[in-house]
Amino acid sequence: MSSDDNKQLYGLLAEFKNPGELMEAARAVAKAGYHKFDAHSPFPIHGMDEAMGLKKSKLGWIVLGHGILGMLGGIALQLWVHTSAYPMNISGKPEANMPAFVPVTFELTILLAAFGTFFGMFALNKLPRLNHPLFNSKTFEKASDDGFFISIEAEDDLFSDEKTEKLLKDIGASHVEKVYDTD
Amino acid sequence: MAQHTLTDNLQFPESNTVTKAFFGVAVVGIVASIIGFFINTEQFYFSYLTNFTFVATIILAALFFVMLQHVTSSSWSVVLRRIPETFSYHIFLLALFFIPVLFGMQYLYEWSRPEVLAQDDLAQYKEPYLNTTFFIIRNVIYFVIWSFLGWKLYQNSVRMDNDGVDAKLYSSQKVISGPGLLLFGFTLAFASFDWLMSLEFHWFSTMFGVYIFSMSFQVFLAIAILICLYLRKQGLLLNTIRLPHYEDLGKLLFGFTVFYAYIAFSQFMLYYYANIPEHTMWYYNRLQGSWETVTWLLFFGRFVIPFILLLGLWAKTNLKLLAGLSILIVVMHFIEVFYIVTPALHEAGVSIHWLDITLLLAFAGLFFGLFFQKFKSNSMIPKNDPLLADSLNKH
Repeated sequence: MSSDDNKQLYGLLAEFKNPGELMEAARAVAKAGYHKFDAHSPFPIHGMDEAMGLKKSKLGWIVLGHGILGMLGGIALQLWVHTSAYPMNISGKPEANMPAFVPVTFELTILLAAFGTFFGMFALNKLPRLNHPLFNSKTFEKASDDGFFISIEAEDDLFSDEKTEKLLKDIGASHVEKVYDTD
Repeated sequence: MAQHTLTDNLQFPESNTVTKAFFGVAVVGIVASIIGFFINTEQFYFSYLTNFTFVATIILAALFFVMLQHVTSSSWSVVLRRIPETFSYHIFLLALFFIPVLFGMQYLYEWSRPEVLAQDDLAQYKEPYLNTTFFIIRNVIYFVIWSFLGWKLYQNSVRMDNDGVDAKLYSSQKVISGPGLLLFGFTLAFASFDWLMSLEFHWFSTMFGVYIFSMSFQVFLAIAILICLYLRKQGLLLNTIRLPHYEDLGKLLFGFTVFYAYIAFSQFMLYYYANIPEHTMWYYNRLQGSWETVTWLLFFGRFVIPFILLLGLWAKTNLKLLAGLSILIVVMHFIEVFYIVTPALHEAGVSIHWLDITLLLAFAGLFFGLFFQKFKSNSMIPKNDPLLADSLNKH
């Protein structure tokens, strides 16, 4: 019994020769109906998002939501402090003094929007994670040097060992290997 | 990925009548304004300063834009750089049109009247700076610097069109622009103190120069978008100024809308919060009666509406939306210049005189007419710029 049998299959990793082939392959994989796949290259390739059929990131909406929350929170905080918790007469100005509230409101809007961006990005990318099954593949080290890869996860509904491997070979993969989860 | 090369006709069509239309409007405006001068001289000068400032801020911001692109070696903007270059070429004519302001100083600037100087302590205190001779000297300096920068940067750029790429000429654009930007910062700030802030000389704001700059740059971007869209509508440079360029202009417009609001509000809040009588006067007058309505109009028209509508990425390539917002910002800029100048004359409430309109026709007609006339005389883009290929292939 080989050691591979008691390991969970993560997916298939296919290597391509150059960015152009990678882009074509990504387009083909997306067209075949796969969703849980990713393309890896040492540098960003313009047009790859579109080739992979990626939808626009939801991050913008998360940031907008947080920004509005920060704005409303900033106004509410100051209204509460200045009109009920600790009302003070500041040079005869009204207690609910909107112009004076702007700096704090502005800063809280920015702060929460920044949190939204940072943590939203983490959540959407499923971070933090300390390791990724793809790192179990020796060839994958080339992804940060001169390798162009497509990985298709076994969790994808369409995934099957043979068919997916055949697809990847058909679209020009120079090398396809199985990648396993180690734990 | 397809490489974009220059495929468009680079010459503004000779048959286009927009220049004539602008000059026609200008003639009507000038004739009516001259009549107005004899009917109501004081109003004439205030309307004149309003409209002079309206046009001058657009043209000076264009000069700033050109110098900024040179010092940063920007490639994205090369295809549309001839537009601000052509605007800033005409600064020497702007200098000519400043001369009437000098004749109207006694009407415009209280501090220049001997009877005010005799009675007003603050006028006496500020006299070493705010006096007629020094005012004229300063303005000569401003216009000499600006005229030189605008003229030279345009000439060099056009020379490269005709003679081909010249590394020395190309780097001299940067050599001029670096110190030019520094001088521009100082001269624009002091010019705004002189032309506008000293209308109510008891009041001062150390950030008034930045405030005027923030307005100017925002409105210049709106004007640049409108001119690009006009060219597009005429079927010109379709394959040269493409969506990615509009996207960048839109991003800048959005950014400088926020910058304008930040600066304008900061200035307001400092005076509002400190609440020192002589410091709040300027805003006090503008928060009374119908002027208060204008304050709110500017807040919504120049910040809230453009901010919300330009926030999404989709908005920056939506040309109809960009056109609408650019027109809104240009209108708001006129109203804001009016709002800075006019309360010095009509403290009680908003009073729009027909001279405000005729002089707008005169100034806008003349300087946009001149723009298109000059734009016609050379290639519409700096066709030999070393960074042109990058700009054409922008994505």
